[in-house]
Amino acid sequence: MHNRFRRIFTIVRKETIQLLRDRRTLIFILGLPMIELFLFAYAVTLSVNHIPTAVVDQSHDSRARDFINALQRSEYFDMKMVVANEQEIIQAIDSGQVKAGLVIPADFSAHIASGDANVLILLDGSDSFSVQSGYSAASAISQTYQLNLITEKVSKMGAGANSASSTLPVDTSFRVLYNPDMNDMIFVLPGIAAIILQVLAVGQSAMTVVRERELGTLEQIMVTPTRPIELMLGKLIPNMVLNLVVTVIILILGVFFFGMPFHGSVWLFFALAILFIISGIGLGLMISSVAKTQRQAQQMSMVLMLFSMLLTGVIYPRAPMPWIAQAIGSLIPLTYFIRISRGIITKGVGISLLWSDVVALIVYGVVVMIIASVSFKRRLD
Amino acid sequence: MFKRIWAIIQKEFIQIVRDRVTLAIICTMPMLQLLLFAYAIHMDVKHIRLVVADQSLDQASRTYLDAMVNSGYFDIVSTVSAPSDVIRTIDGGKALAGIIIPPDFAAHEMKKDARIMFLVDGSDPFSTQSAYNAATIVSQSFSTQLVFNTVNPAGAGATVQSLSGLDTHLRILYNPDLKDLWFIIPGMIAMLLQTQTIALTAAAVVRERETGTIEQILVSPIRPVELMIGKMAPNLLIAMFNMLSILLVGTIGFGVPFQGNILVFIGLALIYVFSGLGLGLLISTVSQNQRQTQQLMMMFSFVGMIVGGFIFPRYSMPLVIRLIGNLFPLTYFIPISRGIFTKGIGAVYLWDYILPLLVYDGVILFVAARLFRQRLD
Repeated sequence: MHNRFRRIFTIVRKETIQLLRDRRTLIFILGLPMIELFLFAYAVTLSVNHIPTAVVDQSHDSRARDFINALQRSEYFDMKMVVANEQEIIQAIDSGQVKAGLVIPADFSAHIASGDANVLILLDGSDSFSVQSGYSAASAISQTYQLNLITEKVSKMGAGANSASSTLPVDTSFRVLYNPDMNDMIFVLPGIAAIILQVLAVGQSAMTVVRERELGTLEQIMVTPTRPIELMLGKLIPNMVLNLVVTVIILILGVFFFGMPFHGSVWLFFALAILFIISGIGLGLMISSVAKTQRQAQQMSMVLMLFSMLLTGVIYPRAPMPWIAQAIGSLIPLTYFIRISRGIITKGVGISLLWSDVVALIVYGVVVMIIASVSFKRRLD
Repeated sequence: MFKRIWAIIQKEFIQIVRDRVTLAIICTMPMLQLLLFAYAIHMDVKHIRLVVADQSLDQASRTYLDAMVNSGYFDIVSTVSAPSDVIRTIDGGKALAGIIIPPDFAAHEMKKDARIMFLVDGSDPFSTQSAYNAATIVSQSFSTQLVFNTVNPAGAGATVQSLSGLDTHLRILYNPDLKDLWFIIPGMIAMLLQTQTIALTAAAVVRERETGTIEQILVSPIRPVELMIGKMAPNLLIAMFNMLSILLVGTIGFGVPFQGNILVFIGLALIYVFSGLGLGLLISTVSQNQRQTQQLMMMFSFVGMIVGGFIFPRYSMPLVIRLIGNLFPLTYFIPISRGIFTKGIGAVYLWDYILPLLVYDGVILFVAARLFRQRLD
């Protein structure tokens, strides 16, 4: 047993020396996650505002202006250009100058009075996010506008004017838990931090074993009494330290620079982050033992990154996905850690609500390390 | 010159074909990814898990809840009695949204001071947006209907539209039924091609450096640009194969209509693919070992996905991010792909994106060759 620890420690030392000697790689490892964090934090906008819009106003009366103002005031639509007819709107959407269009036909006020007014709102159906936001914003705004018209008419008719019909009978108040202002940063950062960590953990460890194999130095290690699992653990530990440093940097940036509130226990977060990093590195080592060349390892970690991005719930929710996509997502440690990260950072919940994900991560880490060692041994024969 | 390039092409080709496993992965992966992602991604989240605390349990509150469920956006997964239980259920992740209806809802509704509390889990971005939007619309039209009913109790053939005098039509161009796949596939093709092309050439130079075979190439009369072109050519074939295969899966497999001219699309895709391969070569030239390559390559495709407009629209990003986005070929190809594929427009509308791509191709090849020479000294 004592010898075993000594052997692991020797590998740890070798790996550490290798890491520290290659300065540029080290700078990449420590620097790129920060760059990614900055870019993503600013680039990811979930509520799409200021959709560029073209307007055709054939009425030019007060009602038409009201309606346009209502859209503009909502801040969902920016009246970018004024054109003459519907064809020109479609042309502007075709060429990508605007994403939405509004057509108000002639004599709008008169038609409202006679009860047969029409407006047309066009949305660019090739840009999914804008359509989603634009659609719900436009329906909500025009509904409000219609309601105002009704109450106006009702009070004019005198019917029930006293019953304060300008207020709605049911008032729905909204509360967005954990993120009352719907701040995009708060939505995004816990997820982004988690995915950056996994990309780093997997990417780094995926190259280690296969690199030694390609360079031929693996033979030298194999003539020593080091056993596969010891080699794996020896490679895991320095990488884990490196990843933890990055975790700390990301969290400090997130909390102090981006002002992300941290509601839960920092210690619990770190403990579980270590668990997550171990399973990420284990996954990387598994890729590394299975791959024949560094190129293959790169391809595999690239595929894994795409899967992690799209199937684990960082961006798109997992609930509406078909079972096969959910099953593949369950094979990625990020799926579990994303819930942990959001749970602890944003919701501030404790371990009692996160048990199932924690257990899943532990099982995951153990299983990938075993597979990595076994497939490593098999590849030797 | 052409003979020298040809020699490199032959060498690369043999190397690629020899490694059967990698070749098989490279050729099938993008197709499989498209299949999976296209099925998996839903832009509009429906059936959001809802927890309800209905303290009235009267006709009016039931009507309200029915309206929520009938919208298709919400599924009531649990019913609790205390408002604090609603929050606890959301804390535990069993529900993403909650409704609290206070006692005597019907009576308050008559007096026009009924209140409903709607809670949304603010930690899951996509679902929060959908839940928030859906709940706003559903409760607004519920209220409108109530106002309408009191104003017009007989309901003599009148509708909300006729009473307000305004009818709003929403028309979605190119994708009238809001089909998820129509949204996703054109952008997905652009994204997968970029990820693939960067990865194809990223190992090209650095591997020769690491294994020492670069010395052998250097003593030959080949020039840097020739080497770069030679390394790109076979990969261009693979990338075009990938492009056609995912295009087929997208159009025939998923039945997404291709509105524009397919030849124009393929021509422009060729320019695009070239820029991705060039970017990979550049990464390969500047990195000292494959570990660095790995880091840079991951970052480029990762960042490209976010800032290129594949997921989030570019116009809502801050200026600096948009400028950084201009460094990625994906940024230019997404409008091209969506334009030709979904909108069916011609190249005339797309010059703003085609020109930068052409410039990009030239610049990246030049820079890669230049840096390669510098690294030799």
